[in-house]
Amino acid sequence: MLNSEQSSLVRFLLIYLGSTFLLFSLASWIFYASAKHDLLDQQRETLEYQSENIKSKLRLLHKSFDDTLIYPGGNSFDSAIFDLDKAYIFGTFENKPTLEQSDHYYDEKRLYHVVKIEPHYLGAAYLMVSKEIDKSPIATLQEKIIWFMLGAGLFFAALGYFLGRLFTAPMRDSIEQMNHFIQDTTHELNTPISTILTNIEMIETYGKHEKSEELQRIEIASKTLSRIYEDLTYLNLNHDYHRQIESVDITKMIEERIVYFSAMAQSRGLTIKLELIPKKILEMDPNDGVRLIDNLLSNAIKYNKTKGTLTVKLTEESLRIIDTGIGIAQKDLKGISKRFKRANKSEGGFGIGLDIVNQVVNSYGFVLHITSQLQKGTEVEIRWEK
Amino acid sequence: MGKVIFLFTLLCILVNAQDVSLEDKQQLQRECLQCHVEQQIPSTLIYRRYLMKYSTFERMQKAIFSYIKTPDQKHSIMPPQFFLKFPMKEALTLDDEKLQKMIECYLNTFDVKKKLVLPQ
Repeated sequence: MLNSEQSSLVRFLLIYLGSTFLLFSLASWIFYASAKHDLLDQQRETLEYQSENIKSKLRLLHKSFDDTLIYPGGNSFDSAIFDLDKAYIFGTFENKPTLEQSDHYYDEKRLYHVVKIEPHYLGAAYLMVSKEIDKSPIATLQEKIIWFMLGAGLFFAALGYFLGRLFTAPMRDSIEQMNHFIQDTTHELNTPISTILTNIEMIETYGKHEKSEELQRIEIASKTLSRIYEDLTYLNLNHDYHRQIESVDITKMIEERIVYFSAMAQSRGLTIKLELIPKKILEMDPNDGVRLIDNLLSNAIKYNKTKGTLTVKLTEESLRIIDTGIGIAQKDLKGISKRFKRANKSEGGFGIGLDIVNQVVNSYGFVLHITSQLQKGTEVEIRWEK
Repeated sequence: MGKVIFLFTLLCILVNAQDVSLEDKQQLQRECLQCHVEQQIPSTLIYRRYLMKYSTFERMQKAIFSYIKTPDQKHSIMPPQFFLKFPMKEALTLDDEKLQKMIECYLNTFDVKKKLVLPQ
């Protein structure tokens, strides 16, 4: 799966599943509250029955003139009677309850039912009946809702994934078509570019003529084409590319690539300043090193001012390539290393240079830092260690 | 020493309270209940009627005081048929303080709460 497709799919799934989850949570919560209320209502009906029973027994007690009056209690519930001022008279509660509300209510553990007694048998104006809430049906209800949420979550995740794949299919097809096109084009370009470069080299080596300006232009153009070809091949094969890590003399590699780009730099009248420490060794694939340096040098040359300066500083800690070119606006700096992103379109290119640099930097755990000022220049720093 | 003083004080209060209570009970019997006994009007029944209507000690106390000071069929706790058989009582001549005390004693004597027990 392509990176862009994956990120689109992830974003779609997050929004889709997030909103579905919220909606279902809300619906489940409303259903739970209503069902719990019904369950408690059923339990309260028992209390209502008990309260009527107690009321009739209180009436009998009120008429009794026995020395002791046995308060009507029960094993499965507690009750208490209160006078008109809501003061406790008698009851079966372990701790004297207070009568603050009327009708019915419940707390974490118990369900309460309060009824008025008229006339006030034994002086009781209110009767409170209470029992422990039977939580097993509520727990069963919670369990059912959790299973429902899990089932719905899985179903909608699968549906979301299917829909997401369906929606991103056109984008995926377009990108695949573009990749195939680039792949085919690069394949077709390889042979003619190689032929041109080999022949220029042969003319320079065995030719009887001085290297003319025209020939130099052909060389620059061919090398530019060659480098674009290398970049495109690198991007295409990057996913399947098996890196061969070895000790690379990065100092030597920079010097070689400077020679490679010298014709291009000369054509723009650039002054190249090299401040390189000798024999800086990095453990990496040589091809990655070449792509990294080529792209940085190419950008520094391409976007430099005519007769500007290109400075390359290599230290134990970092590589810095500084140009005196057109610079990059601050707003463009953030996404500059994304593929096909070009801050300035005055020069040719596909906008893949810094994407390749970024990929190499990320692969080896380097740190890329770009600072730039418009019309003054750009400094690209790559720190070898995080 | 402190404990001795405390126990002595407590004993005095209890003895004193018992005396007052007995004295009050005797006075209640003499001033109030005697007539009820003679006329065969059960005092417990009257207490229960007050309790059923007024519920609290204070409300009953207030209602009884008011009725005894100005006996009136309209404000009586007994039903109208009761007065077909029994004459309207006369207002008591006891002073207010004494009357309040008698009412308190009456309510405490017949207090139903004391009889209530939890089922075994």
